[in-house]
Amino acid sequence: MLELKDVHTYYGNIHALKGISLTVNDGEIVTLIGSNGAGKSTTLRTIQGLNKPRSGSVVLDSMELHKLPAHEIAALGVAQSPEGRMIFPRMTVMENLEMGAYMRKDLTTFKDDLEHVFSLFPRLKERITQKGGTLSGGEQQMLAMGRALMAKPKILLLDEPSMGLAPLLVELIFDIIKKLNEEGTTILLVEQNALMALSIAHRGYVLQTGEIILSDSAKNLKNDEMVQKSYLGVE
Amino acid sequence: MKIMRSGITFGILAGLLTFLFGGWSVAIIGSLMGVGLGMGLGNGLERKDPLKIAKDVAPTALVAGAILTLLSLYQNGFVQDAIGKQPAQLNVVIFGNLFGFLGAVIFTTLLAGLHGLPEKEELKWKMILLALLVVAFPFIDKLTALRWTAQIIFALIFVILGLGLNIVVGYAGLLDLGYAAFFAIGAYTTGMLSSPVHGIHINFWIVIWIAAGMAAIWGFMLGAPTLPLRGDYLAIVTLGFGEIVPVLFRNLIDITIKEPLTCWILPMFRIKTSCIILVEHYDLTLGEKGISPIGRPSLPLIGEFESSNPITWYFLIIAIILLSVFVIRRLRDSRLGRSWMAIREDELAAAQMGIDPVKTKLAAFALGATFSGFAGAFYAAYISGIFPSVFEFSTSIIILCVVILGGIGNINGVIVGGLVLMMADRLFLPALKDFLASLLTHTVLPSISNPVVQLAVKDNTNPILYRFLLFGLTLVIMMAVRPEGMIPNAQVRAELHPDDEPVIEAETPMTKKAIKG
Repeated sequence: MLELKDVHTYYGNIHALKGISLTVNDGEIVTLIGSNGAGKSTTLRTIQGLNKPRSGSVVLDSMELHKLPAHEIAALGVAQSPEGRMIFPRMTVMENLEMGAYMRKDLTTFKDDLEHVFSLFPRLKERITQKGGTLSGGEQQMLAMGRALMAKPKILLLDEPSMGLAPLLVELIFDIIKKLNEEGTTILLVEQNALMALSIAHRGYVLQTGEIILSDSAKNLKNDEMVQKSYLGVE
Repeated sequence: MKIMRSGITFGILAGLLTFLFGGWSVAIIGSLMGVGLGMGLGNGLERKDPLKIAKDVAPTALVAGAILTLLSLYQNGFVQDAIGKQPAQLNVVIFGNLFGFLGAVIFTTLLAGLHGLPEKEELKWKMILLALLVVAFPFIDKLTALRWTAQIIFALIFVILGLGLNIVVGYAGLLDLGYAAFFAIGAYTTGMLSSPVHGIHINFWIVIWIAAGMAAIWGFMLGAPTLPLRGDYLAIVTLGFGEIVPVLFRNLIDITIKEPLTCWILPMFRIKTSCIILVEHYDLTLGEKGISPIGRPSLPLIGEFESSNPITWYFLIIAIILLSVFVIRRLRDSRLGRSWMAIREDELAAAQMGIDPVKTKLAAFALGATFSGFAGAFYAAYISGIFPSVFEFSTSIIILCVVILGGIGNINGVIVGGLVLMMADRLFLPALKDFLASLLTHTVLPSISNPVVQLAVKDNTNPILYRFLLFGLTLVIMMAVRPEGMIPNAQVRAELHPDDEPVIEAETPMTKKAIKG
């Protein structure tokens, strides 16, 4: 469904992505793991259109995303729960969720989707009139995910959903990601917490300094010696 | 006790105001003070039985009214004499003070009491009362010969300008320092299309729409090059535009346009008249002299609006404001309004929601400019003359201050901000000037023997000279004390006073359940 072919992205002179090729099939959870600065977030930003690739292509269901501006890519059904969350701090929780549904033409199921988000994140329902900026870190993460879900995306891009969260909350968030996938959402997950990511993903790619050095099923990656040593902390 | 203190403060302030205006002013000042005091007191109280609230605030209302009346009587009796004005007539003294006292007491208790009603009812009655006051004001003003209406019309022009700028600055978060340029474009469009200078006389009711359209087009044109810019850079570009426009209008006085193609071809055939000239020495704006007279609106029953009768103009601008408020409220609550707010909060996140930042920003610039077009057309027709000096940088800053002082992003705030700021400028300062001048002439000045010192004192006590100093001082104090403005937007208040709405970290039973799944 989503296919990146030989994508090169630059920040000025810095060659951040050096020929990334990856695919995400319908109904999968695919994870990108790697250390800081490997290019995980840049890959997501490139898919989203926030950074333009200098060469290579990003194709979603035969539509060439790399030629479109960010807001049109969003309209095609690519939703991201961004790193650092990027919620609207001075809007209420409800208004943030409404913003998620901004591009949808069909709003007949809006209420049901809202209920669905609230069933996944009951905490958001309690905070419904509170300003986004006054939520705690975990709640902001939930809000960012909920907002992305309100767009009813074809593919959901999650950037470091576990960043800065308490261990209990990390588990909750990953349970929810798994649940979402079981309900049929395709997910591309970028994560530093490789162990958690590989335990719920179907397939995975390992990034290192802008290149994919390994790709396999999540199970095999988990057992791979190099991955264990570098990313899972197994001696 | 606290309400009594605000009653005394209001009473003293209002009483001192009567020193400046004298005569009938006490009646209007008393009523206005009652409205303000009543609303303020009501909002601070719990919602309970209206009669009970009225009973609670009645002593405060009486005290405030009494202080006002006493000060006003003192003015009638002594101050008037001290500044060498004719003593007021007996009937003015009696009825002015009576109405002032009654107005203060009745409006205070009434408006505070209204707070006891359910919220919807309260709002309805307040609106009805406000509408009555707005309609009655110019007639009372005429009856009492205060001549405030003409000045209030100026304040209302700035209210419209503030409302328009509020779209750009308050809703979309784009700092525009050259907003007076659109005001100028609206005014000059009106001037050129309805004055004998160019021999074009289009009806005012049509011209006002053309002016708004022109302003919108120029808003769009200014918006386009600023799109990639953010924050400070955007402010600088708008500042530049605000400087260019008045300079342009000042200098479009000798226009010659040659047809370029013939300029190139004809010399080849050695023809002496080397160019076809399309326009020669055409004076478009008359430069510093400005354009006047400008056509005035007229209506079937009322006839042509005259400058001697401000009442018709007053109702025209009230109508324009009502229309603007209606449209702006609808815009704010629309999809477009939401996307303005999203852009203001976080442009990248907004793009990820599928909002087109280009279209959204352009819409903000164009729609914001539209309202200044209305204001410009009204201004040109009302003054019946326009001059480039009116649209300088300081005007842009004053409009921005109207928005910021009133409450950025809040329609009611902007209206109050415009009224307070411009009335202070147009009513309060001139009255203070007269008061000080006559006070000095009758007290201090005769005792100064040195004519140089005498002249220096006389010249330097004119508060209008210190207009911008006072203006700046107000801004500094306001930013230190209440940076969110007089009537703040909820979102701005949340940002500036995060303590009011504490981060709720404590876990309730439900959130615990949520964490455990």
